[in-house]
Amino acid sequence: MGGHSNWPEWIYVGIVIALMLWVGAEAWNVERLVEHVPEGAEVIKVTGQQWFWTFEHEDGTKEIGELHVEKGKAYKFEITAKDVNHSFNIHDYVVLMDAIPGRVNTVWFAPTDVGEHDIQCREYCGLIHYNMRGTLYVEEPSS
Amino acid sequence: MKSIVGLFLVLAILVIIPAADYVFAAGAEPGEYLDRRVVIWNLFYRLMAVAFVVGTVVSGTMIWQCWRFRESHPKAKPTPYEKEGVW
Repeated sequence: MGGHSNWPEWIYVGIVIALMLWVGAEAWNVERLVEHVPEGAEVIKVTGQQWFWTFEHEDGTKEIGELHVEKGKAYKFEITAKDVNHSFNIHDYVVLMDAIPGRVNTVWFAPTDVGEHDIQCREYCGLIHYNMRGTLYVEEPSS
Repeated sequence: MKSIVGLFLVLAILVIIPAADYVFAAGAEPGEYLDRRVVIWNLFYRLMAVAFVVGTVVSGTMIWQCWRFRESHPKAKPTPYEKEGVW
């Protein structure tokens, strides 16, 4: 190490470590916020099977291929699958969670605007995977 | 001595990471309403900004080094080998 100073290298290493820590902390914090389900969130059971989605609300109401929710309310999806792996995705609301047979995965969201949005499968699940779609209807609150 | 330092490093990591996880982990208390789209895309754009800044600085430094330390640069100093033919 004789003959020259190597402090620029150490500064470089320090900056890289600091950046990595910062990136990790930011991502960790966002993950923590996003995974924290608010109080009073309605549970909706989501089941994926070749090649459609089934939804069951807390009051027992069942829907196939479409899901009706209310604006401004939080919903917690409990997602599973009957046959092969699927992935539940509401692209417009950045909801994405794998649906795995024998396992319940959870994700929550709170729709902010009235409208219709696509629901789709994001894990190749067989011949008609491309058409394993549904529609999310966000409606005005009933009460 | 080095092995003791290594041992303490391993022990520190074994203790520190679970402790940090315990402190910052999402507890059982309810979370707040938030818009996933805003939070997630916001993180994405911030990290992309960092990535592009880092990329610009690193590639800019490399380009500057190539330009500054080329043989034909007016301020270039020959190395001892180039000057005298000795390593």
